Amino acid sequence: MNEPLSIIDLVTNASIVVQCVMAILVLASLVSWVMIFQRGFSLSSIKRESIAFEDEFWSGKDLRKIYLEIEASEREPVGMELIFVAGFKEFTRLRQQKEADPDRIMQSVQRAMRVALSREEERMETSLPFLATVGSTSPYIGLFGTVWGIMNSFRGLATVNQASLSVVAPGISEALVATAIGLFAAIPAVIAYNRFAAQVEIIVNRLEAFTDEFSGILYRGIRRQD
Amino acid sequence: MSSIRTYILPAALALAVHVGVIALLLVNWDESVPNASAAVEHYYIKAALVAENPHKVKQQKLADAALQRRQAKARLARQRDAARRAELDRDAKAKADLVAKASQAAESSRLETLRIAAQEAEKKRIEDKLAQAAKEASVATEQDLARALSEEQDYRLAVTDDEKAMAYVSQIQREIIQNWSRPPSARNGMQVLLMVFLVPTGEVVDVTLKTSSGNDAFDRSAMLAVRKAERFIVPADSAQFERNFREFEVMFRPEDLRL
Repeated sequence: MNEPLSIIDLVTNASIVVQCVMAILVLASLVSWVMIFQRGFSLSSIKRESIAFEDEFWSGKDLRKIYLEIEASEREPVGMELIFVAGFKEFTRLRQQKEADPDRIMQSVQRAMRVALSREEERMETSLPFLATVGSTSPYIGLFGTVWGIMNSFRGLATVNQASLSVVAPGISEALVATAIGLFAAIPAVIAYNRFAAQVEIIVNRLEAFTDEFSGILYRGIRRQD
Repeated sequence: MSSIRTYILPAALALAVHVGVIALLLVNWDESVPNASAAVEHYYIKAALVAENPHKVKQQKLADAALQRRQAKARLARQRDAARRAELDRDAKAKADLVAKASQAAESSRLETLRIAAQEAEKKRIEDKLAQAAKEASVATEQDLARALSEEQDYRLAVTDDEKAMAYVSQIQREIIQNWSRPPSARNGMQVLLMVFLVPTGEVVDVTLKTSSGNDAFDRSAMLAVRKAERFIVPADSAQFERNFREFEVMFRPEDLRL
């Protein structure tokens, strides 16, 4: 009784339900951290490559050359490159088919780019819903574990004829560990969700702007050739 | 697939974060707890103050007893005074009678003055006696008061030591009661006397049954309560420990049961 409770004791002495809650929360926290790192890396790489591509695009290089370079490179095109590739591929295909009407060419090119953009947006937003779910529900799961644990420890108190604080205190302490883990899982998830959602929004805006600019350039190109 | 490969590094990092947090928690856990145990000790001291009360009541009782004794003595003295006065009055009357008889035989005027003088002398004597009695009585009460006071002081000196012991005793009682789960066969009025043997660290080395309650389950529950406590908080002062806690008796008697 005089020994201070270690955190391992707290976890191992807890009831099955509370232990399940703790396990779920630890798992959720682990997975959400995996998502946080993965999203963080992938978003920052998309941003970096978009900036690099934008520099290359506006450097005055021949568009066909850029396209061939991207096609030749091993890695998958991401972000702005993907949109550029989709638009340019559609454009050259239509040109090879001797499609004469510039408006119809532009329409289908824009459609191709829009599809690529929405696919890219979808890919950037994967696992963000998971982070949102962990952020909003894990405090409740932790709270459930705590309520359950406290309920049990008070039920135990009812059978003891000499009620004292030291009878219930370990049970309550055990139960509160569940809430602590829930909050530990929720806080980074919420922060990461907000941060990533904002980042995705910025990147999508930039991609949209690029789509418009690129279609303008292509349109001018058609007009000049005609 | 490349998408799976992108998850390997994040997974490793996430694991590292969790292991780090748990390690941090384990390291800092013990540091954060001593505050809590200090709080518990504080609580214990408070409990010890509460345990003083029985003594105070006793002291109060003692003082009351002294007061009563004093009052009784004063009453007795008063009664004695009254008795003496009555006796003196009777004496005076008898003498006066004698003088009156004598005066019948002798000349009235001369004897009259004599009689008055005698009466006056008698009166004076009575008064002297009364004053002396009163003085005696007051001296007696004063002595009584002084004695009671010194008694009380002695008691108080003796009490400081006992009081400390009482604080430990009440703590031990509480701990035993906490561990005591009474069998359903327990009834009000049952009592069992145990002999508990401790070592100076407060650990229970032996519990023996001194007087059984007649109910085996009840006896066992009492012995189990002491054994379950395992270790009591005992005074660090070894003399005090030897005097009060090396071996002591514990009486178990449920009084709050409905049956």
